[in-house]
Amino acid sequence: MKFSCNKQDLMEAINIVQKAVMTKATIPILEGIYIETNDSLKMVGNCYDMGIECSINADIQQKGSIVLNSRMFGDIVRRLPNSEVFIQVKPNFNVIIECDNSYFEIKGLSAEGYPMLPTVEEEQKISVSQTSLRNMIRKTIYAISNDENRKILTGSLIEANDGDLSMVALDGFRLAVAKVMIKEDTNFKAVIPGKNLTEIYKILEQSDKDVKITLSKNQALFELEQCRIISKLLEGEYMNYKNFLPEQFETNIVVDVSEIIESIERASLITNDDKRYPVKIVIEDNKMLITSNTDVGISKEELLININGNNMTIGFNPKYLLDSLKVADEEKVEIFFSSSVGPCIIKPIEGDSFVFMILPVRIK
Amino acid sequence: MPKRIIFHIDVNSAFLSWEAVNQLKKGSNIDLRTIPSIVAGDQSRRHGVVLARSIPAKKFGIITGEPVIKAVRKCPNVTIVPPSHGIYTQCSNAMTELIMTITPDIEKYSIDECFVDVSGLRLKYGNDFLSIARTIKSRIKKELGFTVNIGISENKILAKMASDFKKPDRIHTLFRDEMKEKMWPLPVSELFMVGKASYKKFKLMGIETIGDLALSDASLLEERFGKYGRMIWEYANGIDDSPVQTEESEAKDLSNEITIGFDITDKETARLYILSLCETVGMRLRKSGLYANVIGINIKNSEFESYSKRKKIQTPTQNTNEIFAVATELFEQVWKRDPIRLIGVATTQLQSEPPIQLNMFDSLSKQSSNVKKLDESIDKIREKYGNKYLVRGSLLNLNKDCNS
Repeated sequence: MKFSCNKQDLMEAINIVQKAVMTKATIPILEGIYIETNDSLKMVGNCYDMGIECSINADIQQKGSIVLNSRMFGDIVRRLPNSEVFIQVKPNFNVIIECDNSYFEIKGLSAEGYPMLPTVEEEQKISVSQTSLRNMIRKTIYAISNDENRKILTGSLIEANDGDLSMVALDGFRLAVAKVMIKEDTNFKAVIPGKNLTEIYKILEQSDKDVKITLSKNQALFELEQCRIISKLLEGEYMNYKNFLPEQFETNIVVDVSEIIESIERASLITNDDKRYPVKIVIEDNKMLITSNTDVGISKEELLININGNNMTIGFNPKYLLDSLKVADEEKVEIFFSSSVGPCIIKPIEGDSFVFMILPVRIK
Repeated sequence: MPKRIIFHIDVNSAFLSWEAVNQLKKGSNIDLRTIPSIVAGDQSRRHGVVLARSIPAKKFGIITGEPVIKAVRKCPNVTIVPPSHGIYTQCSNAMTELIMTITPDIEKYSIDECFVDVSGLRLKYGNDFLSIARTIKSRIKKELGFTVNIGISENKILAKMASDFKKPDRIHTLFRDEMKEKMWPLPVSELFMVGKASYKKFKLMGIETIGDLALSDASLLEERFGKYGRMIWEYANGIDDSPVQTEESEAKDLSNEITIGFDITDKETARLYILSLCETVGMRLRKSGLYANVIGINIKNSEFESYSKRKKIQTPTQNTNEIFAVATELFEQVWKRDPIRLIGVATTQLQSEPPIQLNMFDSLSKQSSNVKKLDESIDKIREKYGNKYLVRGSLLNLNKDCNS
């Protein structure tokens, strides 16, 4: 195998496939990146839970394949000058990496036995812009559970239904739903491990270019221009999240998002790390009071708001409110309170691009 | 009738009384209480301060806290006794034990005073709290040989103020409707928590009596004195919600263990003992209003080797079943399958009632409040009739063994 390519292109591809390479594996080959030259240069990282394949432009002089230790290869390429990189595999699997005045010869591994990405049967396929998918992940991923006893909740539900694509995460204390419209009229449901979505989020770009999502029985395939990402799915039935969403509300208010974020952040300054203190929200006379009372001291914030309905006193874990409000990406949102011990819902003033539900803290 | 009835029991000239009782016991025929006498530090070097004085000594103008030398100047014949702290602790404990035979809801406030919440005795005595107070007072006098003042009210601050009225050997009430008449005319320096420094500041503000303080503007006091200002205003107005803190409520950890008459070799038996321990631990936690953040299990095997494991739980609990679930989980992880001689369940990192983060899966916390009610009801029944009458089915045989 022999090829040359641009250092930056190579580095970018390594960064992407590395996300699917195990840092500690039982066999060395699993700590490696698979490199193949055929019509183009292809690199693969695979850790069974997730596999990523990336193609880049290269001048291919000789076809072949090799596996290189991911960390070593990455560290070398990262420090090479921004120039053309020449890579050549010798018959004894030693790999020569050359760039300007630098020369490396490192041990590679036979590509035989490297777990290649499975082919995903194209059952159902939809496409959505990279920006949209990115936003959906960002708006929901924080609500994923880390409770291994409820494995299914450590992933996000991705659901296509009559032209809507929604992503759902819930951990029992809060629930986040993000929605976009799609052209396809398919119906499917799958639960993707949160860990994989976090990596996919990093790979996605702010761009109008499409990402195609294909689902099979136990895998999801995300296809971008230069790379394919395969994620395994979590087994089991996801909760019927719609049942949790209340329909009747005692009070609803409209608030300025950045104002309320700043107020809650200030109110949660006087908490210490060991103990979690709630913030108390009192809604009355077109005002919202956000107070906190901890062993360090007390604080009070006052916001002018529009109120519809009854007065309300309710407590929240400030982190839960902030997590949701920070990803709202709206100037103003509407907050609906079902009762002082019932869930509250945060929605955009117009449209249904997201629904956040947060359960309160019972305060004395 | 107010919700709570609190007694404040204060030993009259405690150290001196106890010294007197001790000397009489040892065969002395002089009762220190009847002559001018003081308890004071190191009398040989004529150093130290007056720790306690008899009532005849008081008549000479001797005050607690002044140097011995001054006291001697006031009354050259005064009898000086050195303090013997061991005896005071004994006397103090004897008093606590005596009161415990009447009610367990007692907070030892200092060596010579305690608060007792007798609200729970209503069932037995109705509203006749005076007779309970008389019983306590006369039993202490008769069985222990010293006198006390008892202040009766609806909260701790007023009870404490009441016990300070005329001494010795008296019972006073000070309910909120008696406050104006009995407490407000007193100089503000008499109010609990008013020291010399704040007394001076109050005087400058024109506050002379407790009544003056009670009628001044709370927010102004708060501004000037901070939290203390608000508190002292509340005290002057007889407002105080603080509970009588039984010893357990100040506990840092709460545990229970049992040494078994035989070696446990199977999981099922061990689980039963753990359950029984969890019941006690849970009950104690609930009684002291505490929630545990950490639950642990301790095991000692027949070779006297001990080992243990603990776990921090997500939401602090005082529920028997939750403690049991964690304790058994830990037991299964840690038990080396060796014969068990002693088994213990421990709870640590205790805290008062935490704010409860509601959860979607608990059918909106209805369940957890029911569990709480169930635990509380069981506790009440057991408290009233004893532990024998309400027993978990699985523990029926175990308890039989224990009782035999």
